[in-house]
Amino acid sequence: MPKLTIDGKEIEVEAGTNLIEAARRLGIDIPHYCYHPGLSIAGQCRLCMVDIEKTPRPTIACNTSAADGMVVHTQTDRVTETRRSIMEFHLINHPLDCPVCDQAGECWLQIYYMKHGLYDPRMTDEKVHKPKAVPLGPHVILDAERCILCSRCVRFCDEITGTGELGIFNRGDHSEIGLFPGQDLENNYSGNVVDICPVGALTDRDFRFQVRVWYLDTTPSICPGCARGCNVDVHINRKRPHHAGGRRVARLKPRFNAAVNAWWICDIGRHGFGSVDDPDRIRFARHEGVDVPRDEALGLLVTALRDHAPEEIGIIASPDLSNEDLFALRRLADHRGIRHVAFRVPPAAPGADDDFLLRADRHPNARGAEAIGIETDAAPILARARAGGLKVLWVIQHDLTACGWAASDVAEALSRVDTVVFTGTNDNGMSTLAPLVLPLAAWVERDGTFTSFLGRVQRFRAAVEPLGEALAAWDLLGRVLHALGGPAPLGRAELWFRELAKAVPAFAALTYQSIGSDGAMLAGALPTTAPEPPGRRVPTPA
Amino acid sequence: MRNFDRPDSHTLTAYRNAGGYRAWTKAQTMEPAAIVDEVKKSNLRGLGGAGFPTGMKWSFIPKTHTGPVYLVVNADEGEPGTFKDRYLLERDPHALLEGMLITARAIRSALGFVYIRGEYVQPWRRFSAAVKEAYDAGLLGQGFDVVVHRGAGAYICGEETGLLSSLEGKKGWPKIKPPFPAIKGAFGQPTIVNNVETLCCVPPIVERGAAWFAGLGTKTQGGTRMYSVSGRVKSPGVYEAPVSITLRQLIERAGGVSGTGRLKAVVPGGGSAAILTADEIDVTMDVDGLKNAGTMVGSAGVIVMDESVSIPEALFVLARFYAHESCGQCTPCRESTGWIEKMVHRIVEGHGHKDDLDTILDVAKRGGGTTICAFYDGAIGPYISYIEKFRSEFETLCRG
Amino acid sequence: MTAPVSFSAEQLAEVRRLQALYPDKRGALLPVLHMAQDTFGYISLEAEAYVAGLFEVSPAHIHEVVTFYTLYFQQPKGRHVVAVCHNLSCHLAGAQDILRHLETRLGIRRGETSEDGRVTLQAVECLCACEAAPMAQVNDRYELNLTPEKCDRILEALR
Repeated sequence: MPKLTIDGKEIEVEAGTNLIEAARRLGIDIPHYCYHPGLSIAGQCRLCMVDIEKTPRPTIACNTSAADGMVVHTQTDRVTETRRSIMEFHLINHPLDCPVCDQAGECWLQIYYMKHGLYDPRMTDEKVHKPKAVPLGPHVILDAERCILCSRCVRFCDEITGTGELGIFNRGDHSEIGLFPGQDLENNYSGNVVDICPVGALTDRDFRFQVRVWYLDTTPSICPGCARGCNVDVHINRKRPHHAGGRRVARLKPRFNAAVNAWWICDIGRHGFGSVDDPDRIRFARHEGVDVPRDEALGLLVTALRDHAPEEIGIIASPDLSNEDLFALRRLADHRGIRHVAFRVPPAAPGADDDFLLRADRHPNARGAEAIGIETDAAPILARARAGGLKVLWVIQHDLTACGWAASDVAEALSRVDTVVFTGTNDNGMSTLAPLVLPLAAWVERDGTFTSFLGRVQRFRAAVEPLGEALAAWDLLGRVLHALGGPAPLGRAELWFRELAKAVPAFAALTYQSIGSDGAMLAGALPTTAPEPPGRRVPTPA
Repeated sequence: MRNFDRPDSHTLTAYRNAGGYRAWTKAQTMEPAAIVDEVKKSNLRGLGGAGFPTGMKWSFIPKTHTGPVYLVVNADEGEPGTFKDRYLLERDPHALLEGMLITARAIRSALGFVYIRGEYVQPWRRFSAAVKEAYDAGLLGQGFDVVVHRGAGAYICGEETGLLSSLEGKKGWPKIKPPFPAIKGAFGQPTIVNNVETLCCVPPIVERGAAWFAGLGTKTQGGTRMYSVSGRVKSPGVYEAPVSITLRQLIERAGGVSGTGRLKAVVPGGGSAAILTADEIDVTMDVDGLKNAGTMVGSAGVIVMDESVSIPEALFVLARFYAHESCGQCTPCRESTGWIEKMVHRIVEGHGHKDDLDTILDVAKRGGGTTICAFYDGAIGPYISYIEKFRSEFETLCRG
Repeated sequence: MTAPVSFSAEQLAEVRRLQALYPDKRGALLPVLHMAQDTFGYISLEAEAYVAGLFEVSPAHIHEVVTFYTLYFQQPKGRHVVAVCHNLSCHLAGAQDILRHLETRLGIRRGETSEDGRVTLQAVECLCACEAAPMAQVNDRYELNLTPEKCDRILEALR
């Protein structure tokens, strides 16, 4: 393992570690644009140059592997002057779009200019003009003038998605990022190029002109879009509620996790947060179509569960629920003796795995439901309802009127059940049918854990308050359980997790602390790594 | 240039009649290491522009490598003022082939690529015909094959790794180094890239010995080389001379200064070389001689300027060239070549300021040494030297 | 409406032959693009997409190559291409006068094609024939030591 010195501090690193990474471990920031740890080395921006003893000229850090005995200086006058020069080169043709550019506030030209530039510009000639505001597919918009031609986006489409839509055309200062004319940026990971673009050349169409980034708060979470469990950061607009169309969740960004999704998330997950601020959110309990206080609705639910034989009660839970939610459900079911509990309803249009992160199972916690002992197939419950064997059917989140079951079967089943209860986040076919409706808090409104399809338990966190009187399912179930003679309701998701860990061996070794921000495996599940990107699976010529 | 004046000099028959392929016969009795050694001792230095010792370059191929090794000939001649390789391809293609055969044996290569600039259609046809002759005669195809590859118009493909990228079917973007081509070059394999003329020197070295070749030149560079002389001279053309010749002597050989007859300045080594004034021409035209004079011999393209030449205009022509040919891969070169062209243009049109001159100098100096390849270092040769050595002529055009 | 872009069977065989010459078939891209230009007159987007298929490379990367190199035309060109060098030695020998003379004769500016589709006129960088400046590349040939009279003779011969 080479041992080297950077700015007087010694560090030992694995062979093959480049100087940017080695410095990072010492808390030393070497500024850079084109380098990205998930992509090949380009060496194009020239910003990461450092002084290495016994080397006559400054050398780029990204392409230099740490060598034993190497002595590196990142703060010499020559390095400082070089950085200032490189900043000037980058800004020669850059348009002063900051006032209208979404990237402002998280723009690496701004950040590095303030840190390493601070020179008086002397470019008084006409700058090179290139296309602006060019849509590249449904999610990304390009401003070619702002582009610093770091080629991260091109390398992403080649090396990660393997789709090769982007190229750098022409030569010299007329070089331009673009698509093959007539093609679209239509792979399922297009949004990632916005993340990796250091400047405002590639921005998100959905986020365009919505809200300034410095008003946003960040909460780490887990994408609930499929069973992969990609790690995300939820960006909340609390400070400017009159911007972003009043939406609380302004955008999602991927959060790095080497064991799950590396640096990336798919477009479906990235743009799947709209439902949490949709007008069709269920905010208040309803009975017979009329808003009622939550406690009244809870009372009606409790009555239904108490006054019917357990044999005549069916609960179709959802793999959208957290481990805590599902364990609370299991406690309730066990307490009351309800055996007809299951979670899997076939989707109207079955999804498919894509070749990278997206799983066919578009729910985040099927594995958790299995591990907690919830029955998988809900079809027997539907059959029992159709046969007239159920008096109470409690459906959580699923819209049975728009699923893979025949509509007539569902209609028949619902017509033969006395009491249909629906609990969910958004209005759908079920919520309009069910006489009793209770609102559920969305994933950004509650704490909990999901278990990915590979058995990784990961924490998601409340970023905003629930709307109206919505509750987390574990909270609602806890209250119902208590009203039915069970123990006092627990006040936090973590307390439910502790109960879960005590009761279910697969979770026994886990705590919120041990799960941390990267997650931890169920007992017996093999440790995971993020899958190999499709772009790297095909051997490419040197 | 020994064969140039022979009729049909490009044919195998003529080449053989003049003693061609004898060196190859001799080389086939030598160990590869012995050939490398001979070339090292000859002090042959690269004649394309960089002047790197050829034998030393060959010895960088890893000894333990068991896979293919490629020999790539840089026939992408493009440095302004240079035309010697064109002559060699048209009039003595077999000299290049013989040089390739010997070199391939030295570096243990079984496959050679000759990258000819796309504009050189006649030379390409001539050379391709010679390749066919060589195959028909059993010289090629017996352990060494040659692929002739046409470029498509980009000066940067004369940079050795830019050439390799282009050979691989991509844009001619130079590769970041390390790794160097001898370690990882064309198609990921160890590769030696040599200039046309450099390889044409190899047969004489093998036939007549390293000592003979070394003795023709200076202490640090052996042999003769072909100087391309053009501009305001009476007899522009290719002149072969020992590398110890001085620039003054070379201009005289080319008939002396034309136009006004009074020398103003000389570009000694292709467009990218720093310019020399009329009183700086008593320098030897070898790699180290010109380096010590603050310029370079480069591709040995000599452009003579008499007193009627406008230096600012000349700089504009070159600034336009560099902006047009910048590949665009790395930021300092991509952005500043275009900007500097605009500034020089403004100055030549009479809308410049003296501050622009200092800006150009400062930007050029800040960019030197920061780029992926030496293209930009070549560009700043003229940017800096023309302005520094002829500043008053520029200032006359400026407004303030 | 132009005919669909494709190579004949013989041409496809030539493409395969060229691809086999290189350790990676992508090395044959520049020669095949020259073939496409010789066959179709210029390299349209359709041609780029077609060639992309022959190399199993995304069309964007073919477009990168075509837009990078100056000898590939992305728009139809004249039947003849007259490329006059305007680099240093040719400039010193009067390249600007030659260019202006040709512009006048053809009634076009440099970079344009004559109305009758006969000639595309270009100003280009060093063609490395500086000893015979001023000069131009006319189609496949170098025309050296140009004078206005010689230019007129050359133009006349271009039908």
